[in-house]
Amino acid sequence: MNIRFYILRRVALIIPTLIGLSILTFAIARIVPGDPVGLAAGPRATEEIKEALRREFGLDQPLPVQYVDYISGLFQGDWGQSLYTRREVLGDLRTFWPATLELTTAAVIIATLLGVPAGVISAMYRNRLPDHVARVLSLFFVSFPSFWLAMIFQTWFARDLGWFPIGKRLPVLVAPPPATTGLFLVDSLVQLDFETFAVSLRHLFIPALVLSFGAFASITRITRASMVEALEKDFVRMERAIGIPYRVIIFKYVLRNALIATITVISLNFGWLMAGAILIETIFDWPGLGLYAVHASLSLDFQPIMGIAVLYGIVFSVVNILTDIVYGILDPRIRYG
Amino acid sequence: MTHLLNIENLHLEFDTYDGLVKVLAGVDLSMRRGDVLGLVGETGCGKSMTALSVPRLIPMPPGRITAGRVQFNGEDILNKSESDMEAFRARHLGMIFQDPVTNLNPLFTIREQLVDAVLYQRAQGKKVPGRWRGFAPSARQLRKDAHERAVELMRLTGIPDGDRRIYDYPHQFSGGMRQRVLIAMALAGDPDLLIADEPTTALDVTIQAQILRLIRSLVSQLGLTVLLITHNLGVVARSCERVAVMYAGRVIEEAPVRELFRNPKHPYTRGLIAAVPQKEVTRGGLEGIPGMIPNLIDPPGGCRFHPRCQHTMAVCRQTVPTPVPVGEQHTTACYLYEAEG
Repeated sequence: MNIRFYILRRVALIIPTLIGLSILTFAIARIVPGDPVGLAAGPRATEEIKEALRREFGLDQPLPVQYVDYISGLFQGDWGQSLYTRREVLGDLRTFWPATLELTTAAVIIATLLGVPAGVISAMYRNRLPDHVARVLSLFFVSFPSFWLAMIFQTWFARDLGWFPIGKRLPVLVAPPPATTGLFLVDSLVQLDFETFAVSLRHLFIPALVLSFGAFASITRITRASMVEALEKDFVRMERAIGIPYRVIIFKYVLRNALIATITVISLNFGWLMAGAILIETIFDWPGLGLYAVHASLSLDFQPIMGIAVLYGIVFSVVNILTDIVYGILDPRIRYG
Repeated sequence: MTHLLNIENLHLEFDTYDGLVKVLAGVDLSMRRGDVLGLVGETGCGKSMTALSVPRLIPMPPGRITAGRVQFNGEDILNKSESDMEAFRARHLGMIFQDPVTNLNPLFTIREQLVDAVLYQRAQGKKVPGRWRGFAPSARQLRKDAHERAVELMRLTGIPDGDRRIYDYPHQFSGGMRQRVLIAMALAGDPDLLIADEPTTALDVTIQAQILRLIRSLVSQLGLTVLLITHNLGVVARSCERVAVMYAGRVIEEAPVRELFRNPKHPYTRGLIAAVPQKEVTRGGLEGIPGMIPNLIDPPGGCRFHPRCQHTMAVCRQTVPTPVPVGEQHTTACYLYEAEG
């Protein structure tokens, strides 16, 4: 089957996935006990005020009608608004999500750049010193809570040593680059504004590093395991027997066999990190979606909750499709169909 | 005349959970340039381990060579450093294995694997310009030459349409064709010695015959020196000039092929040849050698065959027999022939 057709079909299949997801989220957001309107209107609100709010947000309608209204709005770019701030959800997502995207992408890149070589070295020196070091390190990073490491790193590198800023995406006095993507690194590069690029890179580094630790650990472990497995393959012995240097065998022939499992873990981590960035965002005062999501959930602000669920649904689906395409690039035996 | 390959008194042990397995207990084997030597024996007798000791690919640990030496062109290869070994394998050795499906890397095209075989065997341990530095004119010429050599090797090993099929992946080839590719890879750098470890065992019978014919024709065309490991006496009879028979970690008889089949001396070899099914025999079942392969953790003392032998004497239990000449280029390690020698 043609790869273009395959991608189109996969993209089209996102829609039923999202409908399922939205029904679930919609139902859960309405079933949980608590009265969002009561919370939003405040303790002194009269029954009339609450009633007016309900009418305004369509909460007086039957649930199926509410749902259909919501979905049709979704396709027209109306993702609802917050009960509290009265701001458009889509606008909020546009503001906050790029910060989280930038943070998670950077974390996944760091985790991959550190984790894959660590896993390879571990497998090459199996049960010898470099392997033990890599394994203890990854156990260390996966065991320590990231918020604790975040505060330690913040104390050491930002407060005591002063190498990095303590938090936020940019200093207060630096204007963010004109938003094309909302990713400061990309936007500043597009503008050829290298000064802003450097400053935002410095802000990004420590939060992304801390966020990457968990992913680093799992990437290291899966790379090691699948490298060890691939090293046992017959073709490794054949390649050695005919005189291909071990270094070439490892980094060219074996690594590619091992990367298929690693790619799976990287893509899973991308999703987990995006959803789990909240702690890091709180500690580093990173204006991302995590904080926004927590506020929305605590106050039962259902429109933003729905919006976040739909957005993450899209992100997960797209990452999945990309992963499947990468599989096909790595392994010629995989056919799309 | 010096030997190309000379294995002397090779002892190899493996550490296992059950104990120390004495896999090889004094293997002696030598080959001259141009020899086609068959190494036969049943499963577990140490023939593959003997073969793997030449490229030094026995996993160590758990393996350990406790005595003996392996010389190639007069050079001791057990003392070489690992990087010297890489250069040595590239320069002197080619090796093919049993299963052509698992011995090719499934994720790379034949071109990628075959061209690398040519490049690294030609470089003989020196650096090969990689992808990133490979755009210099000299490097491009190197790769172009290697590609042409790869297509030539495919023609030589009888793969039709080599210039087109070289871009295919292993899974697009049949088992026999894959074994041809592996032979092409092994021959990429004109090796002095080709070690073939059960090269036809995983193939079906018609393909086996084709691969054997190919190896024979390569021997006559290129004057290859071949060490052919097999448990199949038929394969030996059709392809080799000399045979060495192994039993439980030792070479117990060595002779030219015709001599061995007409005039086997060692009781084990006799049993082995008697066990080959004959066309005429239809009734009475198959011949076998009574007894079991010995446990190599606690092998029988003296001659390791004595518990299964019909001619066991007191001395067989005590000491290990040394090979004695019993004919033209024919030696056997058995006390039955001690007096004749």
